[in-house]
Amino acid sequence: MTFLKTLGMAAAVTAGLAAANAANAKDIRIGMMCDRTGPTAVTGTVLCPGYHDYIALVNSRGGVMGNKIVANEIDIEYKVPPAVEAYQRFKQDGAVLISPYGTPMVAALLKTMEEDKVPGTSAGFGTAAAANGEKYPYMFPIAASYWSQTAAAVKFVKDKFGGDMKGKKVAYVFYDNPAGREGIPVMTHLAEKEGFEWREFAVPAPGLEMGAQVLDITRRFRADFIIAHVFGRAPAVMLKEFKRAGYPMDQIIGLVWAVSEGDIAAAGGWDVAEGYNTIQFAGVGSDYPVLDEIKAMYKADGKEPPKEMEFTVYYNRGVFQAAMHVKAIENAVKAKGSADITGTDVRDGMRAIKDFSLDGLLPPLQLSAKDHEGGGFVRVFQVQKGEYVPVTDWYRAYRDDVLQLLEEEHKG
Amino acid sequence: MFHRECGYYKTSYQGDQAILPFPIAKQAIFGLLLLFLIVIPFFANEYYLSQLSLVAIAVVGALGLNILLGYTGQISIGHAAFMSVGAYTAANLVTRIEIGGEQLPFFLALPAGGIMAALIGLVVGIPSLRVKGLYLAIATLAAQFIIEWIINHTPAISGGAAAAIEVDRPALFGWVMNEQWELYLFVMFFAILAIMAATNLVRSRVGRALVAIRDQDIAAEIIGINVFKYKLYAFAISSFFAGVTGVLYMYYFSIATYEQFQIVVSIDFLAMCIIGGLGSIVGTIFGAFFIIMLPVVIRIVMESFGPYFMDPSYLPQVIGQLRLIFFGGLIMVFLIVEPEGLNRLWQNIRNYFRVWPFSY
Amino acid sequence: MQPILKFLSAKFAWILLAAFIAFIVAEGGVGVLIKDWRFAVELAVDGVLTGLMYSLIAVGFVLIYKSTDAINFAQGEFVMIAAIVVAGCLDWFGLPLWLSILVGFGFMVVFGMTLERFVLRPMIGMNIVAIIMATIGLAFFLRGAGPLIFGAAPSTINLPIPDSPIVWGLLYLTPIKLLGAAVSILFLAGFGWFFLKTRKGVAMRAVADSHQVSMAMGINVERYFAVAWVTAGVVALLGGLAWGNMIGVDTQLALVGLKVFPVVILGGLDSIIGVIVGGIVVGLVEALTAGFVDPYVGGGMKDFAPYVLMVIMLMIRPYGIFGRRLIERI
Repeated sequence: MTFLKTLGMAAAVTAGLAAANAANAKDIRIGMMCDRTGPTAVTGTVLCPGYHDYIALVNSRGGVMGNKIVANEIDIEYKVPPAVEAYQRFKQDGAVLISPYGTPMVAALLKTMEEDKVPGTSAGFGTAAAANGEKYPYMFPIAASYWSQTAAAVKFVKDKFGGDMKGKKVAYVFYDNPAGREGIPVMTHLAEKEGFEWREFAVPAPGLEMGAQVLDITRRFRADFIIAHVFGRAPAVMLKEFKRAGYPMDQIIGLVWAVSEGDIAAAGGWDVAEGYNTIQFAGVGSDYPVLDEIKAMYKADGKEPPKEMEFTVYYNRGVFQAAMHVKAIENAVKAKGSADITGTDVRDGMRAIKDFSLDGLLPPLQLSAKDHEGGGFVRVFQVQKGEYVPVTDWYRAYRDDVLQLLEEEHKG
Repeated sequence: MFHRECGYYKTSYQGDQAILPFPIAKQAIFGLLLLFLIVIPFFANEYYLSQLSLVAIAVVGALGLNILLGYTGQISIGHAAFMSVGAYTAANLVTRIEIGGEQLPFFLALPAGGIMAALIGLVVGIPSLRVKGLYLAIATLAAQFIIEWIINHTPAISGGAAAAIEVDRPALFGWVMNEQWELYLFVMFFAILAIMAATNLVRSRVGRALVAIRDQDIAAEIIGINVFKYKLYAFAISSFFAGVTGVLYMYYFSIATYEQFQIVVSIDFLAMCIIGGLGSIVGTIFGAFFIIMLPVVIRIVMESFGPYFMDPSYLPQVIGQLRLIFFGGLIMVFLIVEPEGLNRLWQNIRNYFRVWPFSY
Repeated sequence: MQPILKFLSAKFAWILLAAFIAFIVAEGGVGVLIKDWRFAVELAVDGVLTGLMYSLIAVGFVLIYKSTDAINFAQGEFVMIAAIVVAGCLDWFGLPLWLSILVGFGFMVVFGMTLERFVLRPMIGMNIVAIIMATIGLAFFLRGAGPLIFGAAPSTINLPIPDSPIVWGLLYLTPIKLLGAAVSILFLAGFGWFFLKTRKGVAMRAVADSHQVSMAMGINVERYFAVAWVTAGVVALLGGLAWGNMIGVDTQLALVGLKVFPVVILGGLDSIIGVIVGGIVVGLVEALTAGFVDPYVGGGMKDFAPYVLMVIMLMIRPYGIFGRRLIERI
């Protein structure tokens, strides 16, 4: 019976694949994993449409040098076995670039992708150490790692205090999992260097209730500034709890996963978050030419722009990822002279990306064979009257300290 | 059909008790082994191989859970935690112990992971003497969270802040298995071993004791079965299988991370047992295959037919939600309509053909 | 070997409990607790209120168990679906709050009845493991169906309740938690009276005791099943309103269901007063560990401590502080 079922299934899959292959013979394929139903669905339901919209925009202009790009998406529910299935399916389809989704999935696919010579991006996932292009030649974080983000957050706090942090109290609120704890070494190092006092406040999964932590921060520790590194449901809870405790919102800065428009809506609307600062590795807000072009594309089709476009934090991040993928492919096609590219070509194309900013949506990334992070640039946005307003330019901070810590990490 | 079950006379007790009483069964098993061990690895491509590998790993874990759930009647919602115990034990051993410049070979790491999981399973099983049914479900749920928390917060186990340990591919005397077909054979070997072990276990004295406990534990105690001992056996055996599953996952992904063994994974395995058929080895295999393949089939069907009745841009979202609906819905439907699961359907088909075409 | 294990299973829990308390004392230090006593009081009050909010979710669970002997692992999803419906009415159709709540109420009544008719009724008489698994399946079904029908975007339920805290001497109170706690106590008192004093309540307890005997005594088992599930649905609506306002509405809201287990096990599965006490204990333990143990272990003990307590409780008194001890016969 197992045998019969296998055969039947195999036949069905083959037929499906064959049909798909025949229809799009000369396309360049990208594999895109997504999480629309798992614990991070808040992100996936917005990020992935953004990704597809940019690819559609590129294709509506004739694709990459006349070659159409096909981005297939598979929802993996933040589980590892479906991610492996998705990866093999993409590889089967001949994808030249595969983007895994979620820290454990990146970890589980790291070795296979290296063996298969398929490059991938992991913007916002994985450890800071993964930025080392010599150790992980086929994985590109492409965006500022948690270490770079934490360092940038400390710099922002320092500027707020007028350049002197001595004796100030900083609370580091983190989601209690490996990714959340990632910022701790940087905090320890910089606290010593800048002479500020800090304490860590863990928010255990799933982070539905943090009354005690907020009371501790506001009534006992009495923090002067809060650096928040939380995911999932926790950002909305955090916003609301701090608001109830009467803590000034402009003294909180969140790292990249803390507080998108969806979280603000869940916390009770923009008024709750007024003044809140957030670090981003892709521009937020709708004031970018590329977003207008996507809107125009929808108009030309006689459709309304999707409502996901209102959730700019993750939508723009999807556009950012798509833009990086397309750019890498473009570089590869240019270098090769034909659309007949392999994963290694795309990897080299990705490494060749320099100063690609898409009119301000992207930081001035400088990727190289060694640095897959692109320099670790971020930008701080503040919630002001119902929208995100940039309050700094793209910047990076304590780069040498971060690199030194990375160096120690590799040795240890 | 070509085969009739009449005309075979059993002349010894061995013949009567054989696992495969008829020549056709032996031939079928031989054919299946030939197919899965020789034909498929040579002719199937990497996509199918990787899928079958995932199914094979799941079969090991689901068999273990079915011994506990289907044969002993004890529920465990914390099975994924035992897998992570196995995975982390093996990962630590493999990366810390070097033999001649090589990592500890898998044939030592694999049982070690299983035994460690079995020991932890024994500890979790101790309350099963006092509590059962719902209480046991909640106790094992707590075990899931507690084990997760401990691994997450103990760098000595989790291997540092990232709580992930990278390991090399399994190697056998210098043969490093890093191609898909090699990994497929690796996991398939252990899946077959697990199927054989489970088949024999349930026919043994231990297996019969477990079934007696499932049907009525007090009655079992009265007829002289040491309920406490056998419940602990069941937990230990089941956790051993789970630990081995964890180690297989570790080798297959070449990494151990606790985030891949969270509560949803426990639920997946429970669903495999229920949909496959409680207390049935063949059913468990069907169940594992069914649960692993369900999302793939839903996606292929929706991608092929979805665009005809809805906007393609909504499709990815709908596929995700449909998968949850089918997953949950099928668990309910099977429990209500066919509590014996896919195994029962398979029996029906087989019985129909057994007497076909003269079904009277 | 075996006597040792038997001894362990009985005494193990006490050893664990002693170790747990010793650990907290050694790590957190009673000294700190005394030094920071003002903060400790604030934490404790907040913890008690939060704990009563957990009770609000747990009521539905106990209600079902007490009246049908079934276990509902989908209680969190009930809360989620109720909140999603109300939030959907507010966001999509722009209905006023009272009308949205009314729609939510109607939906939960129909939902409870449908569920009872098509899922629970065919399962009457099946063993407990089957019912547990069926509700787990139901949980996944709802997580898929809710967003599919009512939209996946996160939302909120804005209730006309002020956000700013009430500081009153030593007491530091959050209005929404205060309200949630009050509603929870009110409802628990109401159910307590219902089960003890009314004819219907007694009938429901009889049904829970034995389906067959109740049928023989002329009790309409199916009808009481329906009543129980509908009531659980309506209670979930209240939980959904309070928690939806606290943390926002999307599928993640279902995770509050995980808080139910420590509450009901500590208090006793079939005890109304147990739900209140269990909720308070869980809330207190969470708040105090977060305030006084976390700084020393460097990790979030908060959601973990209630589960440890629960395991200990399962070993000492599986039926909980106020639960009824079950005597098994063949």
